[in-house]
Amino acid sequence: MTEVSRALLFSIYLCAFVVGGVLMGFEMLGSRYLFPYFGGGIGTWASLISTVLCALAIGYFAASAIADRLRTPRTIALAILIAAAYLAFVPLSADPVMSGILDRLGDGPSAVLLASTALLLAPLSLLGTFSPIAVAILTRSAAEAGRVSGLVYGVSTIGNVVGTLFTTFTLIPTIGSRSITYVFAVVLACCAGILFLPSGKRIS
Amino acid sequence: MIIRSVIFGVLACLSLVPAGFAQDNRHLLDSKESLYNNIYVYEDPPYRSMTFGHNKRIYTESMYNTGDDRDLPVDYTRYMTATLMYAKDVHAILEIGFGGGRTAWYLHRFLPKVPVTSVELDPAVLDLAKKYFGIKEEPNFQVVNRDGRLFLSESKDKYDIILIDAYRGPFVPFHLLTKEFYQIVKDHLADGGVVAQNVEPSTMLFDSAVKTIASVFPELDFYRADGNIVTVAYDGPTRNAEDLAATARERDTAFGLRYGLQDMLAQRRRIQIDGGKVIDANAKVLTDDFAPVETLKTIERHNRKLP
Repeated sequence: MTEVSRALLFSIYLCAFVVGGVLMGFEMLGSRYLFPYFGGGIGTWASLISTVLCALAIGYFAASAIADRLRTPRTIALAILIAAAYLAFVPLSADPVMSGILDRLGDGPSAVLLASTALLLAPLSLLGTFSPIAVAILTRSAAEAGRVSGLVYGVSTIGNVVGTLFTTFTLIPTIGSRSITYVFAVVLACCAGILFLPSGKRIS
Repeated sequence: MIIRSVIFGVLACLSLVPAGFAQDNRHLLDSKESLYNNIYVYEDPPYRSMTFGHNKRIYTESMYNTGDDRDLPVDYTRYMTATLMYAKDVHAILEIGFGGGRTAWYLHRFLPKVPVTSVELDPAVLDLAKKYFGIKEEPNFQVVNRDGRLFLSESKDKYDIILIDAYRGPFVPFHLLTKEFYQIVKDHLADGGVVAQNVEPSTMLFDSAVKTIASVFPELDFYRADGNIVTVAYDGPTRNAEDLAATARERDTAFGLRYGLQDMLAQRRRIQIDGGKVIDANAKVLTDDFAPVETLKTIERHNRKLP
């Protein structure tokens, strides 16, 4: 039986909130990247939403596969860091990628799905591993599983809500989509940093 | 195509009685919940109107006189045709935002030899236009069901006149109001071509829209219509009043236009875009990266006189 330090507990819940916020914030931003190329139709939204849910499913399954062996803050820190790096490349690469897809595949459902996949799938799958692994780190007995997972998912979902609203009503009207993407990348990198800190080690 | 005028009576009624009472003498012909809008077609003989419902307000998008298919009952749609006195040639016309199709049909009727193409996002709008607004398939008249920007990006054609009137109720899709969009529009204008945009002038979105258009097109004229403003923008040498009057006279006769270009010319206004007197100095050019259209729409304009 191991104890989880207060500092680690705090950083995991903080990151659950922030990562949840960035995840949905980036979905909202996705619309700003896709609309100029694929139009503002309902098909574009359907592609975005389904891609985000696919990414979450992939993240959950991947986490489920590795959680038993790799349930350390470092694992999620690494996933978040890679996602941050991916986001940092999006502002400069999005336009050539989108126009390349539009030129080759047109604007049908497969093209919009491919575009939202290129934009969202990899980073959001990585972020999707967060909650299951966080639950694995924080749970020390079967009796706790429900309480811990409820807390982690609750905090993360509140993060989703805040991320959606804050991005839509504050960030998009204030700074450009590319700048917001860089902000998200930096925020994620900070989360990774917090989880990499020495206090992020399990104390036995 | 869309009329920006909210029916103010409905607004007033909102606080007192249900909005529906404001429509007393109108008879609901048809309604459709489409992918994008809740569309209602009302009849108040001889007029039919296509309206989109948003939050209990009714936004009239198009009005059709069933007894006279060349009538343009809505003021600003007439001014969209003022573009005819600007274009060097009139070989092809494009409209983005078909709605009930009145402007496109008017141009088709008076210029039957000129191909008129109109692009409309909402297929249900097209169905209703064909069913109730006298729109028929005819040579030189084409309606395309597509996102306006996508259509233009993929098109290789050039147009002498491009009319932009794409609204969804009170909202403008942001990707149809950015510098990058107008650059695409410019790339599809033939030599001496001209673009008209219908804008609603009561919010700060107007200032940003004007600055955005002006960032791509050096010349910008304004026509004030009942509650809306039509901007006419072009590149190349300035058309002064005399040049325009000459073309207006010539084309009024050549096409036998019902709404005379010479009369419209009297309403032409120029705005000092820089300097902050009319257009807010802090208003930003909208880009694909930064285009907070919904937010700007909520900020009312104050103390800045329009022409």
